[in-house]
Amino acid sequence: MSRVVVIGAGLAGLVAANRLASAGVGVTLLTKGIGGLQLSQGTIDVLGYAPDRVTNPVLTLSAIASARPGHPYAAIGAAGVHTGIEYLKQLLPDLLVGDAEANYQLPTAVGAIRPTCLVQPSMVAGHLKDGAKVAVVGLRRLKDFHPALVAENLARTTLPDGGRLVARPVSVDVPARDAEVDSSGLTYARAFDDPAFRARFAAALKPLLGDGETVGLPAVLGLKDRTAWSDLADKLGHPVFEIPLPPPSVPGMRLNEALMASAKAAGVRVVNGTRAVSVRVEDGVVKGVTVATAGADREFTADAFVLAAGGFESGALALDSYGTVTETLFGLPLAGLDAGPLVHGDYWGPEQPLFSVGVRVAGDMRVLDGNGAVVHPNLYAAGGIIGGSSRWAEKSGDGIAVGSAVVAADSILEVLA
Amino acid sequence: MRKLAVDVVVIGGGSTGAGVVRDVAMRGYSTVLVERADLGQGTTGRFHGLLHSGGRYVVSDPLSATECAQENAILTRIQSQAIETTGGYFVTGPDDDPAFADKFLEGAKATGVPAREISVAEALRNEPRLNRRILRAIEVEDGTVDGWQLVWGAANSAKAYGAQVLTYHRVTKIDTADGQVTAVHCTDLKSGEDVLIECGFVLNCAGPWAGQIAAMAGAHPVDVIPGRGIMIAMNHRLVNRVVNRCIYPADGDILVPVHTVSIIGTTDVKVDDPDDLAIEHAEVQQMLDAGEVLIPGFRSSRALHAWAGARPLIKDSRVSSSDTRHMSRGMAVIDHTTRDGLDGMLTIGGGKLTTYRLMAEHIVDAMCEKLGEKRPCRTADEAIPGSESGKNYVVTHRLEEREHDRLDDQIICECELMSRRMFTDALASQPKGTFDDLRRQLRLGMGPCQGGFCSMRATGIALESGHIDIERATGLLRLFLKNRWIGLWPILYGDQVRQTALDNWIFQGTLDVEHLPQPESEVAL
Repeated sequence: MSRVVVIGAGLAGLVAANRLASAGVGVTLLTKGIGGLQLSQGTIDVLGYAPDRVTNPVLTLSAIASARPGHPYAAIGAAGVHTGIEYLKQLLPDLLVGDAEANYQLPTAVGAIRPTCLVQPSMVAGHLKDGAKVAVVGLRRLKDFHPALVAENLARTTLPDGGRLVARPVSVDVPARDAEVDSSGLTYARAFDDPAFRARFAAALKPLLGDGETVGLPAVLGLKDRTAWSDLADKLGHPVFEIPLPPPSVPGMRLNEALMASAKAAGVRVVNGTRAVSVRVEDGVVKGVTVATAGADREFTADAFVLAAGGFESGALALDSYGTVTETLFGLPLAGLDAGPLVHGDYWGPEQPLFSVGVRVAGDMRVLDGNGAVVHPNLYAAGGIIGGSSRWAEKSGDGIAVGSAVVAADSILEVLA
Repeated sequence: MRKLAVDVVVIGGGSTGAGVVRDVAMRGYSTVLVERADLGQGTTGRFHGLLHSGGRYVVSDPLSATECAQENAILTRIQSQAIETTGGYFVTGPDDDPAFADKFLEGAKATGVPAREISVAEALRNEPRLNRRILRAIEVEDGTVDGWQLVWGAANSAKAYGAQVLTYHRVTKIDTADGQVTAVHCTDLKSGEDVLIECGFVLNCAGPWAGQIAAMAGAHPVDVIPGRGIMIAMNHRLVNRVVNRCIYPADGDILVPVHTVSIIGTTDVKVDDPDDLAIEHAEVQQMLDAGEVLIPGFRSSRALHAWAGARPLIKDSRVSSSDTRHMSRGMAVIDHTTRDGLDGMLTIGGGKLTTYRLMAEHIVDAMCEKLGEKRPCRTADEAIPGSESGKNYVVTHRLEEREHDRLDDQIICECELMSRRMFTDALASQPKGTFDDLRRQLRLGMGPCQGGFCSMRATGIALESGHIDIERATGLLRLFLKNRWIGLWPILYGDQVRQTALDNWIFQGTLDVEHLPQPESEVAL
């Protein structure tokens, strides 16, 4: 028996499992599949909009924490987020750069400029300054990246700190696999792991680049080879940056694989393909979680449990056809249900209240009921299951995940000690 | 100002107008169709996709039943590519009166609607998701039809006979002189240009908007009472045949498999304005309950999209009984000569999509009679362009097409198997179209992800095509996402919530689409 069971292998679950295991506690990580990181942009957001564009995320989240007591950051606190961000950087020193006091402003695959906190080294050159000259390069066989859309929107955008840039689209046609016209980002990422492919690609692209141009490319510059992007930049003789794509996200896969590897190295027992279906609670204390596996259901017991199963996107929260929202494993009390209609018809209007529904947590990340009482003394929540924020609009989901994960882990360590 | 001169102006680009302009053109008149939006954007595109066998009317309206049966056979032949011959069942639900099925069979015999009672066991074998507690099952020749394909097919046929089709042209004024219609004014909404069309005759086929058009010619008010019906598309084909409740026609009595989805319909609520059709929560719940009767577990199936259409019911006290000789069942022709002393205009209301060709025939007959000419209708004899082979639609056709071109072309919409070439060809033929205009022909964004993956691709490809600039491209993306949401939020539950969360994660989370440079004014068309 492990002392802690973590449910969910997204950013929150992986960070919590790593932190617990590296402190010497036995951890079992239950996951029904691959976590949400590869659906993400592959950077670490802390706070991007509040609702204006944020330049110093930790400073701004402190303000949110005091103004909005229902926001996850009110429970996690600036210190918790700071600890989480530092811990993540320490876990992934080759993959993440930046600090919690400043946002990068990076182009997206539609040409918006998006604030985010920690980024992969391959993205840093995308933080563009006034007067920058950018060649946005698309691959003709990759349908999720359209260089004209990115370049022309960037070219008509005023940069967050003022100033403008010059951007133009460039298209190259270098097949990732012979005769395949519809290659995914993952297929290209694997091709970019191969130095010979990078040489071919650079030879095709280099003549198309102008003096002083920074090169924006879809974020497919290698999956295993962490130097693929810098090698390509060397071959091109131009600075290069990656622009994240819709899923499957190669930068997200890099984070996922690195965090999973470090968890396993720290001794986390990862049990994949295990959808948690029920729980056993005795005298209010969670005793075990049962997972559905082939043959027979199986119970995992522990002293403490971390629910890091995500929100609606993963099925951890569900809304039925009668309008009832449930947390699907424990049936936990949910906050955010009493503020009127959960959805409205104005797509570009205010955030849909539905996607702020979730559990409420105490400062130690234990789940609270509507009266503010702890529901189960040994149940902690981390990540998207915590309600009170519009994660995608705020660009706050990763900071909430990482912050709540380390606070939950540290609270558990304290109790177990 | 642009000027045109034709024999006949047809107003309205739904099935009625498209059928009429085809018929008018085939009889040798010069003609132009004007439509304020895209073809099939109103009532015609907002139905459940049923091609009636006639079964629905064998008890309540026998003449309709016969007309439907005959027209079903004709359309299945002349518009084969728009129609899937699914077949259909009328089933008696566990709490329905089993005796109605006897009346049904009698009615079917009397009206010439092919129908055959089969055992419940056979029905369940063929449609395993059907409620196992059904009491009786009758097999009929229902089919399903893509309303947009139907309308575009008729319009293309009309064009081949010399007709012009002007979409996004709003009628602003109808000129009359000495009690005779002389011209129609409209505005090209895309360019802002005014267009004057001199004509000898106007056929008002504007459906729920027919009253507004008639008023422009100075006719007495035409009392149009739009009846709103809602439909919900469920992911996948829960059934492969049309399934009807074997009861007197009622709300929520049908489930129709169309393309990759199945559509449940419908309701009937009187509304004031056909441009303001809400999808009421209570009606959604009513449809889901009705679905449970036919398919147990219906509520836990995934709903993809909902929409509302307006039936064009005309209740006009001035329609004299002598005017009905040229009418199809459920259809009203308003003769403005006898009613308003105005020559050169007929207004058509009501009707059913299945009998749209027959309605057109009757209307154009009426016009010919008024003009004192004998020109026979030939629309039933000739296949429309693209349907010459007589091969009917099958749901797997795109799978087959992609098998052929998968090494040469990309799939831009995986849900609906739309290739890049399909999109660029449609865009080239409609360079001023919105993504919704293209969607109606391509099914772009109509599958489970509701545009989550394909709409950004479509935006990029449209921009690269050179037909549009970056501001319009970005504006079209905004418009498309906004329009998809209209049909999503009323049915947002279950797995579609999860999909929406992923889509929000992509658009807000990864792309930050809401922080693109804001347009000075939103692209609307």
